[in-house]
Amino acid sequence: MSSDTTPCQSNNCINGNPPSKLECPTCSKLGIKGSLFCGQECFKTNWKTHKLIHDLATGKQPGGPGKDGSYNPFPTFHFTGPLRPVYPLSPKRQVPDHIPRPEYAESGIPITEVRRNSHPPRILSLEEQEKMRTVCRMAREVLDIAASHVRPGITTDYIDEVVHNATIERNAYPSPLNYREYPKSVCTSINETICHGIPDRRELVEGDIINIDVTVFYDGYHGDINETYPVGKVDDDSWKLMKAARRSLDESIKLCKPGALFRDLGKAIEPIARAAQCAVVRQYTGHGINDLFHCNPNIPHYAKNKATGTMKAGMCFTIEPMLNLGTNWDVYHWPDNWTATTVDGKRSAQFEETLLITETGVEVLTAGKPREDLA
Amino acid sequence: MEEDDIPVLVDIDEDVPALVETSALNEEPTTEKGGVPLTIICGFLGAGKSTLVRRILTERHGYRIAVIMNEFGDTADIESRTINVSSPDDSTSDLGSEEVLELANGCLCCSIKDVGVAAIEKLMQKKGAFDYILLETTGLADPGPIASIFWQNEEYAAGLGRDIKLDGVVCVVDAVFGRKQMLEDEAVDGVGESLRQVASADVVLLNKSDLASPSLLSETEALIRKVNPAVTVHRTVRAEVDLGKIVGIDAYASRVSAPDHHAHEHDDGCEHEHDHAGPTHYEVRGISSLQVPVPPLSPERFEKLDEWIRTVLWEGTLPSSQAHSSLEVLRCKGMFKTTAGKTYVLQGVRSIYDIAEVEEGEGVGQGEVGKLVFIGKGLGEDVRKSLAAVAGG
Repeated sequence: MSSDTTPCQSNNCINGNPPSKLECPTCSKLGIKGSLFCGQECFKTNWKTHKLIHDLATGKQPGGPGKDGSYNPFPTFHFTGPLRPVYPLSPKRQVPDHIPRPEYAESGIPITEVRRNSHPPRILSLEEQEKMRTVCRMAREVLDIAASHVRPGITTDYIDEVVHNATIERNAYPSPLNYREYPKSVCTSINETICHGIPDRRELVEGDIINIDVTVFYDGYHGDINETYPVGKVDDDSWKLMKAARRSLDESIKLCKPGALFRDLGKAIEPIARAAQCAVVRQYTGHGINDLFHCNPNIPHYAKNKATGTMKAGMCFTIEPMLNLGTNWDVYHWPDNWTATTVDGKRSAQFEETLLITETGVEVLTAGKPREDLA
Repeated sequence: MEEDDIPVLVDIDEDVPALVETSALNEEPTTEKGGVPLTIICGFLGAGKSTLVRRILTERHGYRIAVIMNEFGDTADIESRTINVSSPDDSTSDLGSEEVLELANGCLCCSIKDVGVAAIEKLMQKKGAFDYILLETTGLADPGPIASIFWQNEEYAAGLGRDIKLDGVVCVVDAVFGRKQMLEDEAVDGVGESLRQVASADVVLLNKSDLASPSLLSETEALIRKVNPAVTVHRTVRAEVDLGKIVGIDAYASRVSAPDHHAHEHDDGCEHEHDHAGPTHYEVRGISSLQVPVPPLSPERFEKLDEWIRTVLWEGTLPSSQAHSSLEVLRCKGMFKTTAGKTYVLQGVRSIYDIAEVEEGEGVGQGEVGKLVFIGKGLGEDVRKSLAAVAGG
């Protein structure tokens, strides 16, 4: 290393630019080497000039800066890919008073989920199963409506508006809204975002892939579904990724029936991912869903796991594999406390269905028309 | 950006600059070798846990050791906790420098990652890997669930956290009062609190052994071994014990290390006999344990055995139509072979278990017959018979 001979980089160094060993951590994070200064005081004096380097490095984002007044709320954060948040977020959307809310709508805290944390997966009564059918059909409708709007130029916030309105039109509550203080009514995850992307002012760009994750709450129950869509023409790798994600979900659903083990589902998913040179995300799992948004069981999507639980008729849960191009399954979070991206900036795709185990097999409650573009 | 946001310069010679975050995240998953053992230290109040921890830290051995005090687990309301990190250059405080365990960035909802575990991983990412991690539980905390969280976390650990491996549970028992405590303390969920700790332990330090009579020591040790046939017991004075006996013991490894070997550890002055054919079933104050020999299994029997284990561990009942009152397994381990000549190791804590195929290494003098040990609640003779029928034939 030439550290011994790098002089202080300040152009108004009070110490005459001596050899320096103290590095600007922001430059370090941005991959800029050699930003060495002789001391904190000197650094402070030079700050206004120096930070221009950070601004240059983080640069403008593709897809246009959006309307006037838009900005990146985390300009010094080390993003792993090109995607940037475009703030400000739109004001919190309102839900008409007559629509029944889940328990966390006010407080943000899903108390019952916490309380039932150690309970085994619930067996739903026939009446409850029927309610799940209804809400899941609704979730599918809302997703399809949102998907029909996907095209270059629209913002993810617009998709949020579409989802929100379609949901309340059906006298349902958009489950993500204020769930653990999530600010919007849907999750929109673009390109290197694995999940939980927050709708903002960023316009979709031709070549993007976008996952839209809809959950609605109706008549006391939640229905959860997501799909990944191409925005205009997308590259071959993105097609490969989306097809593998869809197929891995479909293959795992085939294993579902009474007596099947949750820990085995990953065995159907991982080989498909590998064959497409993709990695299966480990931290986020499928989950039980009924009157609670997220509950037991936890369903890993990777093979060789120690998940507990055997499927029984009457259980409702989701399978929602997230696949990343390349070999990294790790997750890297933005400072908004939600957005999860890949660690290397490569793209990620996901598909999700809510399932009901029947006496003889499985019913895909959120089923829609097969995606011809992924055939 | 405001003036207040001027970042603090970082010495480039300092270990682990921020860049490590990126490159470590791009690493291939680490192999079994190396790694950071994580040891959970539990024990009865006043038995000498803190003495043990302090001793480990001050004896240093040139290692970077992190000690985390207090309860862990899925505490959604976890505040920042401090942990003590000893490092080779630390000459000032006994307990090493204090680091704040920050909550990980990012909402972990819908993520199976435990908040506290994420915080430890983040600390390692920032400060570099530790050589050992000691997790000291509060006096009455049950180490089982904590162990299962760390064990499962190995499947999806991030960055340098990938090196963290659950190494084992060490329980410190007071040689003078321990036996009385085990026989008389409060029962939680039908199980004596201190017995629950012993049941989940891989190693027991019978501490203050200089203050107890030889017969009391024998009785106490016998009680411990009956509750937990798979545990290793060391008699200690002032918590003095060779670090290698409690850290790096690989108690959750998928390696051939049949329970018998550990149980045969001898310390000076131990006079009890070993009864190899011994009681295969024992019960005291709600805790019961059973041991069953396992001859080589055919594929069908293997599947039946797995079905038996998962039914008992996950459902708390015996398989098929055998009606039974609620069972709870706290710990299970064992080793067996198949008719195809392969060797398998069973590890389990609470409802989490794993049966892994292993290469036969040293210490395989057991011949063809394997053994399974189960420790928990309600594991009566009928349960043992049921398991014996499935495994033994």
